[in-house]
Order: sequence, then structure tokens, then C-alpha cells
Amino acid sequence: MTAVAVIGVGQTNYRRAHKDKSSRELIWEASKMALEDANMDIGGIDAIMAGIAPEALSGEGSVERGGMMGVGKPFLRINTGGVTGSSTVFAGTTYIQSGRAKAVLVVALERMGQATSSQQVFNTIFDPVYEKDFPLTTITMAALRASMLMRMYGYTEQHWAEIAARSFRNACRNPHAHLKLDITADDVLKSPLLAWPIHRYEACPMSEGACAMVLAAEDIVGDRNAAWVQGAASTSDSYAMGDRIRRPEATLVDLLSLRLSAERAFKQAGIDRPLEQIQAVELYSAFSSAEAMAYPALHFCKPEDGPRFVEAQFSDPSLPKINPSGGPQGANPVSATAMVRIAECALQVRGMAGERQVADVDRAVATGQGGATQFSTVCVLGKKKVH
Amino acid sequence: MALENVSVYVEGVALEMSWADPRRNLSEFIFDTVRNALDDAGGSLDGITSVVLAAHDLVDGRSLSSMVTAPAAGAYLRDEIRYGDDGAGAFAAAVTRLEAGECERTIVAAWGRSSEHDVDAVSRTLFDPIFARPLGLEELHISGMRAQDWRRRHGGDSRVAAKQRAAAAARNPRALHKGGFKSAASYPLVEADLPLWGDVAAAMILTTKPTGVRLAGLGQSSEPYWIGDRTLHEATALRQAAERAMREARCKPAEIDIFEIDGLTLYDEAIGLEAIGLAKPGSGLDALAGNEKCNPSGGGAAGYCAPSMGLVRIIESVLQIQGRAGGNQIAAPRRALATGSSVVAGQTQTAVILEAA
Amino acid sequence: MSESELIEIAGQWNFNYNYFAGESASRFFRELRENQRIMGTRCTKCRRLLVPARAFCDACMERTNEWEAVGPEGTLDTFTIITTQFPGLPKPPIVMAYVTLDGADTALINLVHGLDMSDIDKAARRLNSLPRVRTKFIDEPKGRITDFSFELI
Repeated sequence: MTAVAVIGVGQTNYRRAHKDKSSRELIWEASKMALEDANMDIGGIDAIMAGIAPEALSGEGSVERGGMMGVGKPFLRINTGGVTGSSTVFAGTTYIQSGRAKAVLVVALERMGQATSSQQVFNTIFDPVYEKDFPLTTITMAALRASMLMRMYGYTEQHWAEIAARSFRNACRNPHAHLKLDITADDVLKSPLLAWPIHRYEACPMSEGACAMVLAAEDIVGDRNAAWVQGAASTSDSYAMGDRIRRPEATLVDLLSLRLSAERAFKQAGIDRPLEQIQAVELYSAFSSAEAMAYPALHFCKPEDGPRFVEAQFSDPSLPKINPSGGPQGANPVSATAMVRIAECALQVRGMAGERQVADVDRAVATGQGGATQFSTVCVLGKKKVH
Repeated sequence: MALENVSVYVEGVALEMSWADPRRNLSEFIFDTVRNALDDAGGSLDGITSVVLAAHDLVDGRSLSSMVTAPAAGAYLRDEIRYGDDGAGAFAAAVTRLEAGECERTIVAAWGRSSEHDVDAVSRTLFDPIFARPLGLEELHISGMRAQDWRRRHGGDSRVAAKQRAAAAARNPRALHKGGFKSAASYPLVEADLPLWGDVAAAMILTTKPTGVRLAGLGQSSEPYWIGDRTLHEATALRQAAERAMREARCKPAEIDIFEIDGLTLYDEAIGLEAIGLAKPGSGLDALAGNEKCNPSGGGAAGYCAPSMGLVRIIESVLQIQGRAGGNQIAAPRRALATGSSVVAGQTQTAVILEAA
Repeated sequence: MSESELIEIAGQWNFNYNYFAGESASRFFRELRENQRIMGTRCTKCRRLLVPARAFCDACMERTNEWEAVGPEGTLDTFTIITTQFPGLPKPPIVMAYVTLDGADTALINLVHGLDMSDIDKAARRLNSLPRVRTKFIDEPKGRITDFSFELI
């Protein structure tokens, strides 16, 4: 089977709203940049995969069709909520590995700036029969988990604040980031409480923007600067959060779907000592608690050692750098966020991450997280080809 | 083209067309069909590591449908992906997973319940809010313009073809025989040309292990973004998709025994038959009226709801090849071509050729 | 119109739906309205009692059959306190919690009432002890999930 590489990355800047561009122009802009980075034109692309999550966020029904570029190409739209971006990338890698394409353009757009009430929209993702009558939103879902982590593993509000402040400070070095805040954990704790224990400066922003990448089969990569997809895995879990709270094999905060994805992706990539073999990590962590849940799932530490792992990141330079781009707290264009994680890892591996570049990156790992922490993806990118 | 050493086979299928059954919520409606497809494949989930779905949030009335519905389709701890595209597109994506060696068995499923949502209102959202939506455009209006463009060039009307189509649907035991409704027809369409909106769920188990039905060819293509940039009286993307599928299957239209063409209206089906090369330009309606190989299922008259129709067409083809179609069985077909189209107004097309193995 | 003016077109995104609750949820809601009790269904394969009641077990892909009542008491598993008003959503502070009712294998979400909310941190500490709770029904149940809520014992 052919190896697949990321040979081009394009990102618009992420911001609250791009009033100066139509949805299609945003898609086009990111795609154009990715093609230029790959030194290709649209004629070289065999198929297009477009990722858009809830359309209610943009108020447009088939906005992904704006990704129709070139003539007569296979085109599919992917919608897997928070993991839409990474699912779209994986749809592309699969298409290439099936032998049906040599080069695939993958693009994801978030247009939520057009929505006037996004948390109301997020409420409509829940089951209309049993759950819609409650104020369930992405924020309260995260809060339910954060309180569980505090009780089970000893995390404190200070840990959540440290993680958030680090991400916002990292975002200052990312020109595409939306929210760049040079703040401390104290500033986070002093910000208003949204839903205990989540403070305003822990929540991610609502961002618009597009991300695109060119994926290529090994025989057309040539001498291009490539980040090889060494591992890619995706796992879905039960929707019912209540079913997972006391599940013997993994509770709600154990992120079983992320662990299973990591194990498969790491095996494909030949990773058995993740802390030594990975230099940069881009986590889909819209909230600090989501980052904490990812540590044990990625085999960085045992669940009960999580709080210490947060502290060690600030003192041990040998540990992988987490969210050098600022992560979703720096910008959260929902439909694109999981693709942005992979794009940022590709830039790290290719040595093209500018001011946010981590030194000597051989491997970088991107995660995706969506639904009711129900959909999880892990993508390993590296300098070397792995078959 | 696909890896030479991997072939894709159909292991089990299930299909439901019904109307406003209040006994089951959407998840339960989906579960029944997926469970039936699993049972048709022998009942076991062993070795199924992949689930590929086609569903639309606005059709399902859940802003992230697959969050609630995917577990009903077998997503639990499996590699599940949801396409916001037609079921035939999801079928194609599932095929690439098998060909890439990612799995050995996969579920493919698609559904939509016309009885739960406002079909016309959802159709209006598909058009861009700047230039098209303020006009109140619906996909059926595009089909009307397509029909008009075709009629102006070729003349004739759909009366005989519509009668044949209704008779075929009446013979199809899986068709929606009670309930459903039709939208208002816009000129030159008449009610008999329109799809019968129903509740539709379709599911299939695909495998790399040989069974009686094999995938012989697969092709996909797309139309330009702007509807004004398209040639409405032809279905260019469908022509390209079918050409790709037939090249892969090394066959010509004359060597195909069954055609199951997905189109929103009777005219879309007729133009589709011309696009794939079975009928000459201008004779698509004649083919539907007189050739029993064309849409033996009854097409859109048998029940319709996006985004499941491409998968329905594929399943109808499988049942024909297996000799299990029932009242609408065509004598011993060996090879079938099924197509699926998606928004906006047939913008993306998938063509699939299946053969008796 | 100035050359730099950017046009914004006001839009709406309202659709009408009829969500079918289905037989299982309908019976669940009927039990709420008529008998003020919370029912689960048991998976024929893994034998878990799933609450709220449903027609099938997604982990096993098998149908459920037996109906059993759970509670009325249970244990709080996790919670959040909503302290900020979001447009279109109820007025804070609101305590939302997952509770595993006695006899159930899965947890059920609902609001928690009757807690002193004058000090959020103190309320959080109280809830963090995973207190026992009981279901409390409204005076005239309507057959909706909002017919009951939890209160600390």
C-alpha cells in the first residue's frame, strides 16, 4: 500500500467573523495556499474532500459545495462534528491508499460568525427526545467532565488555569490564531465563572476560517517537503454519556475512543515510547479538562499522574510540547479545528511553523475530539515514511 | 484504479420504506434496518471494524445527527465516519476503506425521514443565501428547469413513462405503498413526475470475502459550483461517473442488464439514462416507458428521501442480481449499474456496477 | 454605497420538525406521567439495565426486552453548575447532574433542585461528595423529561 504525505498546507487567519469574504472565498483562499505550498495546480488533484460540521452554525445548507474546484472531480462532504476536520483528512488518505487517487485536496470551513446564537445551536445537537429540554451545551458537557476529573484524580482549578494560560500564551506566536492572550493562571481564575469549574478564560473562542491540505501518494511526492502520515485512526463511542459514567472498561473521563485510536495509530507509526518519540502534540482540547483526559489516552502518563504531568510540562524540557499553536483555545473554527491540528503538526514536521516551531521535530501527533466526547481521532505525522 | 488484489463483495442488505411510524424514534428506525442487514449477512458483527454513514443534519433535525444516530448504526467502538452526502457516496467511501486494507467488513447505511422534517424548507437551505436563497429556489425548481430545457430540445412529455414507473413501483414489494406525499409541481413538471416523499432507511454489509455479488466498477464526479455554469439538459457529472465505472468494469451499457438511476424527478431519471449512454439524447423517457431494465424498482415513485437514495438503488440492484427482488424481479440479470446523486440538484454523482460473482 | 461597504443579509434558520419519540420513550414518558416512576430496559445480550428506556443496546446492537423500574433514589455521579446566562437557555444558576438510580446500570441526566446556591464553591463541594439523591416529580406531570428533577437526600 502506498504511503501518503501532506505536501501542502493552507490556512486563512482565524477570527470572529470574516465579513469581507464569502464562504466560498474562504474555502478557495485556504485551498489556493495549500496548492501553492504543494507546488501544484487544481488539475493535479484527483478528488476533493470537504468538511463542514453543523450547518446551523453557518446558516447555510450545503456550504461545502463551495469546495467545487477544477472540473469533474469526485467530491464528498464529511460531517462528524468536532472531528470533521480530521475525518476529512482520513477520508482523503483512505482514498489515496485505495489506489483511486494520487492527490487529494482536503478542505474544512467554519462559518459560525454568521450565527447569532451558537450555544443555542449547540443545544440542538442533543437528543430531542430525552435531553433537549436541559441546558446541555459544549460548555456544560466539559464542565461535567472537569468536575469528575477533579474528584477522581485530584486536578484543581489551578491546573485548568495553568493549561489555559499556556495555550493562550502560545497562541501569541501563531499568526493565524484568533485569541492571543499574554495571561497567567491567576488571570484565568479571576475571569467570570461560566459553568463551574469553567472560567471564561478557559473557554475557546468562536472562530471562522478555513484550512486546506494537499495529500499525495508517495510516487508523486518527489522532492517536496513532506510530512508523512505514519498513523491515522478513528473510533466512535456510544452517544449516551450516562452509559459511560460507570462503564467498567472506561468511565466518561477515560476517553476510551481516544485511547483506542492512539493505540492503533501508534502501532502503525511504530511508536512504543510516546514521550520520547513525539516532540510536538496538537490536542483538540477546547477546554483544559479535555487536555487532561488526553494524557492517559495517549499513554503520556497514568490518569492519577495527570496533575503532576501538567506541572512537569513547565519544568521538563524533554517532554513533548503541547499545543505550540495555542490549540483550540487560540482558535476554534469548529468544522476545521481537527484539521488545523493535523496541519499544524505537518508544519512542525516540515520545519515551517515559524515562531511557533518546536526544535528538532521528528514526529508530531494530532488529536480530534467530537460529539459527546464520543468521536476521537489520532494522526501521527513524521519525517520518515512508514509502510 | 483500485488495488488489483482486493475485491469488494456484498454480504447483506436491508431496506425500509415506510411512512410516519410513531412506534420508533429515528435511532430505532435506523437500528432496525442496520440490524436487518446484519442478519441478512448471517447475523454476526465479528470482523466489522468500520461503519460508513450518509445522513443530513437538517433532514434528521439534529444539528449533529451522527452523534445521536451513529450508535444505532453500529458505531460503538468502531471506526465510524459520516458523510453529509448521498448513500452511494458513502458506499464509495466504504469501498475505498476495504480497498485500502483498513478493514475486512464494513457497515454502510443511509437514511432520511420525510415525515419528520419539512422537505421543501430544507431544500431551500441548500442554495446560497446571497444570490439564490432570497428567490426561494428549491431543488425541484432546478429539476423543472432541467425538464423544460430538455423538452424544448427534444419535445415529448412524460405521460407514458410516468404510467410505467407507477406500475413498476406497484410491483416492488419494498416500495412505499401507503402514505407519503408529494410537493407542489412547478411547470413543466406534473405530479406524476415528482418523487413520493417517504421514510427511507438503507443498509448494507460489504466485505473482502467472496459472496455472490461483486463490485465491478465505481466512478464519481461533480458538476460546477454555480448552477448557471452547468448544462442542465445533460447530466455531465453522471456521464463522467458512469464512464469511469464502466471503464473499471470493462463493459458497455449494452452489456448491463439492470439500470437503477437515481434522479429527483422522472425527467432527472430519463436524463440520467441518456448520460450513462443507455439512451440516445432525447430518448430517456422512451427508455423508461419501454425498457423493463430501466428502474425496475419504480425509481422515485417507489418512495424517496435524501440522502439514502443512492444506497437504495444499489440495494435494489443487488436484490435483482441475487434473484430476490420479488414482484419486480427481471429475469436472471448478471450485471447492474446503480447511481446516486447528491445536492445541489445532482451536483455530485456516483455510479456503481455490480456483477454476479 | 461606499466602495468599502460590506453587505450583510439578515437570515433565519427555523425549521419545523415532528420528532417521533417512539414506543420505548413513549412508554417511558407515560410511566413518568401516570405512575411517577423511572423505567429502564434490559439488553438481551449484556443484561445491562439501560436508563432511560430504549429499544436497543448500541454496544451490543441487540434489542432490549424486559422493563424494570429504577430508583426513586440514586447516587450523583458528576455535575456542573451553570452560572452564566446564554441566549435561549434557562436562567442560572442551574445544577445539572448525572445520577445512577438504584438498580440502573447507566446514569440519567436531569437538574438538581433544592440546594443552597448562595455560595457556588460551597455548593460544588457538597455535590463533589457524590451525595445520594431522590427523584422529585412536579405536581402535574406531563410526560416530559422535565416532569422530575433530583433533590439531595
